[in-house]
Amino acid sequence: MAEALILDAEALNALAFPAERKVLAERASAILRVAHDKRALVRVPAPVLAEVCRGVRYDSAINHLLNNPGVRVAELTRTVAQNAGHMLARLKLSSAHAIDAFVVATALQFDTALIATGDPDDIRRLAAPFRRVGIFAL
Amino acid sequence: MGQPAAKLSVSVPGELAAAVRKCVGARGLSRFVARAMAHELEREGLGVLIHELEEKLGPPSKSEITRVRRAWPKR
Repeated sequence: MAEALILDAEALNALAFPAERKVLAERASAILRVAHDKRALVRVPAPVLAEVCRGVRYDSAINHLLNNPGVRVAELTRTVAQNAGHMLARLKLSSAHAIDAFVVATALQFDTALIATGDPDDIRRLAAPFRRVGIFAL
Repeated sequence: MGQPAAKLSVSVPGELAAAVRKCVGARGLSRFVARAMAHELEREGLGVLIHELEEKLGPPSKSEITRVRRAWPKR
């Protein structure tokens, strides 16, 4: 496959609302710049949308971002969901961590991936066995 | 279910066409070209988004760029 940048909820919010989250948005902008230079794909795991979509008024900025052809939603497939379940089982984590596990399992669909996250501790635990997944804390 | 295919007629340098055919074979050509077009479309879109963000925020600092590069896993 390819290299990918995976955006979690915090990264997506930072890019959708740069004026309200200036420092985070500057970091997220740097991540996009590097992704572009590396010809990496930019993906938002579908379950992340459940964390950021909070109604029509709020969603318009998110939709503006997702309507850009450069930012695509990665569907939650059976393989991704089952891999996420296995990660949770390995660490004895409850399904409260399911979205983090979906994010890491989505990253594993690519040759290498960088996850941009506002929640690096949990993501790092889940991704620890996988050297081809990097974490960037916003 | 796949979407209906559109037929395109394009001109590319002969050496490039030969190299692609050698790499993917005549039967894999359409899939290869479709993937390349999709990737370039994504890159164009990402470029527009970066431009929009940098107009609002200014260019990212060199230190942030370096931090991102360090975090990116090696292939």
